[in-house]
Amino acid sequence: MANLKEIKRKIGSVKNTQKTTKAMKLVSSAKLKRTEELAKRSKIYAAKLTELLSEIAQKMHQNNVGGLDTIYFREVLNPKVVDIIFITADKGLCGGFNAQTIKRVNQLIARYKAENVTVRLRAVGRKGIDYYRFNTIELSDQVVGLSAAPDFEQAAAFISEIASSYAKGETDKIVLVHNGYVSMITQEIREDQILPIDPSKLSLDTVSTSELEVEPDDDDTLLEALVKRYVEYTMYYSLIDSLAAEHSARMQAMDAASTNAKEMVKELTVKYNKARQESITTELIEIISGMESMK
Amino acid sequence: MELMKLEIVTPTGVIFDAEVRQVTLPGSEGEFGVLPKHATLVSLLDTGVIVISKTDGSELAVAINAGYVKVDEEKTTCIVDGAVSLSGEDGDIAKALEEAKKLIKSTEASSSAIAAAVSKVEQIGKSY
Repeated sequence: MANLKEIKRKIGSVKNTQKTTKAMKLVSSAKLKRTEELAKRSKIYAAKLTELLSEIAQKMHQNNVGGLDTIYFREVLNPKVVDIIFITADKGLCGGFNAQTIKRVNQLIARYKAENVTVRLRAVGRKGIDYYRFNTIELSDQVVGLSAAPDFEQAAAFISEIASSYAKGETDKIVLVHNGYVSMITQEIREDQILPIDPSKLSLDTVSTSELEVEPDDDDTLLEALVKRYVEYTMYYSLIDSLAAEHSARMQAMDAASTNAKEMVKELTVKYNKARQESITTELIEIISGMESMK
Repeated sequence: MELMKLEIVTPTGVIFDAEVRQVTLPGSEGEFGVLPKHATLVSLLDTGVIVISKTDGSELAVAINAGYVKVDEEKTTCIVDGAVSLSGEDGDIAKALEEAKKLIKSTEASSSAIAAAVSKVEQIGKSY
């Protein structure tokens, strides 16, 4: 009899879990919609900014005044120090979302270690920070809360510190790793080189024939301001992208969990019915055999 | 009347995209106006007010904090960090003015630039 009660309790508990996962899925899908919209709108701004930056860089390249030769574009052949920024979620329950990012970061670290490059890790998001703290790997910088609610000012403050360290020559390369949003059901690990800016990313073939006037006259000031803005915005956009991916990953995970719970309830119900029938049969046998013995 | 395309893009989306007659921009080296067929130009934008002269001759003001503008013969694209449209159409001009002032004051621009921008916003507010 105790078995029956136990199964019943189990069914109840699984049903409760199912309620939670279902609710989390709904919350995530609502949040995903909002984040997706935000990402879509920011994308326009990012595209325009890249366009402008390409044009200026190209113009300076044509006039042979710095431009692509400045520190922001020049690739260091043998980097000594590399900064890896990575974005993870603050919360779990989103399948392999965080684990994938961490795995890629570990691969990168291993690769750079093999080349004798000093790696400085900068973490955004609690899950990544927890992982490296647990494994006692030092983090140069860490931020919590930014990946759950991307804020331009905060993102800019975070990245400009790293960018100024780059400008001073303390680091040779800045790489950003995050899990990006592709569609409702797919995410993709993205690895972007933030600085130096990869000239192949800028569309340099759009040759404008007209003379480009620049104000203020000092080209470098403008380029520097643009690069700064570009870097800040890449960071911000990656945060949004990561957040959208996080929600879609969580949605998927919770959907799978709900389906699993449903399956489990079904199995347990069958088990419960079997146990019930079994006990009835046993009882019947007991009664009948009792009656037989009284004859 | 000749027209040109004007686009104002902020991190939160495109806030203006239409044909206009003329636009006045707060460049970092001083305010300047752009008419159709303007030579190609790229400029930094300072805290201030963009004044758009629309096709029907009416004016629309947009307060911005900072950004860039790219002008070519057919199209002017403003890429700004933050913008508040000071239009009287939505009725709530007072609220828009407040927001614009807040936006302007939040920037790192010099105090004189902020004062100039605020006074301009107030002037526009009186005209409604």
